[in-house]
Parts: sequence; C-alpha cells; structure tokens
Amino acid sequence: MIRVAAVGDIHMGPDSQGLLRPAFETLPDCADVLLLAGDLTRHGTPEEARVVAREVRDLPVPVVAVLGNHDHHDEQPGKVTAILREAGVTVLEGEHTVVDCAGGRVGIAGAKGFGGGFVGRSAGEFGEPVMKEFVRTTRRSADSLHAALKELDEEDCAARVALTHFSPVADTLAGEPPEIHPFLGSYLLAEAIDTAGADLAVHGHAHLGAEHGMTAGGVRVRNVAQPVIRRAFNVYRLGAS
Amino acid sequence: MSDPVGHQGPAAGGPPAAGGSAGSPQSPENVEYRVAHLQERLAAEELGELGVRAEIRAGAVAVTGTVPSARCRETVLRVAREELAGLTVHTDVVVAETTSPDHAEEL
Repeated sequence: MIRVAAVGDIHMGPDSQGLLRPAFETLPDCADVLLLAGDLTRHGTPEEARVVAREVRDLPVPVVAVLGNHDHHDEQPGKVTAILREAGVTVLEGEHTVVDCAGGRVGIAGAKGFGGGFVGRSAGEFGEPVMKEFVRTTRRSADSLHAALKELDEEDCAARVALTHFSPVADTLAGEPPEIHPFLGSYLLAEAIDTAGADLAVHGHAHLGAEHGMTAGGVRVRNVAQPVIRRAFNVYRLGAS
Repeated sequence: MSDPVGHQGPAAGGPPAAGGSAGSPQSPENVEYRVAHLQERLAAEELGELGVRAEIRAGAVAVTGTVPSARCRETVLRVAREELAGLTVHTDVVVAETTSPDHAEEL
C-alpha cells in the first residue's frame, strides 16, 4: 500500500509561517509522500516562497509540488521554483519523479495545467491571437502531463499519480459558479490522464468545489484545495484493496 | 456571522431607499458595480484573494469564503466595510483549518 498525502492552495504569506508545520510533522505516521497542488503563495513573490520553503524544509517525507496561478502572479515562477527546490521540494512542470515507499514505487507526473473548460462548454483555439494562445497554453500543459505520465511506464511503479493545479474534470468544481468553470480547468488535462493512464489525479484551485470526482476514463480525481478538505492535508491509500 | 455595517437602504432587489434614484449609491445597479470593485480590490491588494465571494442576497451583500490566516480575514472584513460602506453586509469568512486528518481514504 502507498500512502499519499496532498494539499493545495495553502496561500502562504509572512503571517502564516508555522501554521502548517505542526501537522506536516505528523506526516511520517500516516503518509509516504506529500503532494502540494499549487497556489502555495499568494502573489508568487520570493518572500512568500521562502515562507513555504521554511514550512516544508527537512520534513521526514519527500515533498513534490506543482505551482499554481498565484505562484505566477509576480512573474517569477523560476525564482519560486528555485527557492522551493533549495528547500528539498521536487517541483514538477511537465516532468515526473518516482518516490520509493515501503509499499512500492509511486510515480508522480506534474504540471500546473490551465483553463478552457469542459466538453461542450469549452473555449476553442479560434479567432483572436490571445484566444488561441489561451487554449494553446492549456494544450501544451496537457501534452507535457501526458508525456510525463508515459515516461512513468518505464519506471516499474506500483501506482501513478497525476498532480495538477487546475482541474481535469467538472465533478470537483461542484459548488463553484458554472460560469467560471472555464477558468478552473480543462478536459484536455483529463484526456491526457486517461490516455496515458494513472491511478489518481490530484488538483487544487477550486476553493468552493468538491473533493471527489472521476475522469471519463474512470480515474479518480481529488480536489485537495485546503478550503475544500478543511485540513492541513488529506491522505489517500493506493492499492489497499 | 452577520456584520451589519449600515442600514441606509436595501442593497438590491427592492425599491431604492428614500431619496434614492438611479445612479445613487444605493441603487441596485451601483451596488452591483460596488460588489465588483470589492472583488477587484481583494484580488489586487495585499491579499491576492480570489476565493472570497461577494453576492447580493435579500437586500444585503453576503461576503463568504475561506482565507489562509486570521490576518487575511481581518483585512477582508476591513476592505469589505470600506468598499460597501452604507450597505448591509453579512460576512461569513473563515480561516482555513490546519489540523491533521483523523483518517485516510482507501482507494
């Protein structure tokens, strides 16, 4: 059995230093790895990234993250990534990593993702350049997630997890106004997950959404935005049955 | 939590307050824009807050959501009071919980 802890949208700033650390220090009792599903900061500044770095540095379980839209706001995602990596966090953007757990190897493929919406109600790659670029941004992210998941085929993993910030499905947006679904996720992410294969998809971003969902191909989806799970993290046990 | 900051007239959905007219601060169309401006301020200023909803409900403005810290909550409430001065505001803004889970989900 592999035990995956996950949380997103922790939105840390200088006033939140230390709020999550006590819970994170209990991780070895219940989890083999901690996934951070983006929006780790409020504005994506180096100062805020250092708060996150201090919160997770030297945790006794590996920490794997993707960035979210907030982590891009200050337009320094490279700097944010570098600060987190220096603290030992594996930050994925169209990449994969493998964690050796007592219950087997777990492969994690991660990408931030982007919006566009869901089948029948989605933005199209048509018209003005900025509209085409919007959809192409999502398509590139989904393609990179697909490639990262496929790379895990060679890694002899007992379980594969797709980690994004934006949602791959509308299920986990239940509670959000339907009008803003195109800004919360894209079916292109789900299509990438279904065609490459995964055992679990984890995302954040939708604070008013629901925890549980499933892709059209049957992959379980969990929205772990902290306001949704109402805890420091949730734990999913893979391969328990 | 209810946090009335004023009772000068209905926010929306009813007739304007005495003396109100189209274009006055209490007219429904202006309340709608004031709600939009509140959300713009919450996103643009020190909070970077996109997860707080502000909606016109039963003649008042309901401000709801989960924020990452007590200080963020104080700031949201202060900005809401400033932007919606003179209107009835109901707030239900909570701080995100930070406890460990007491169980895991078996998948």
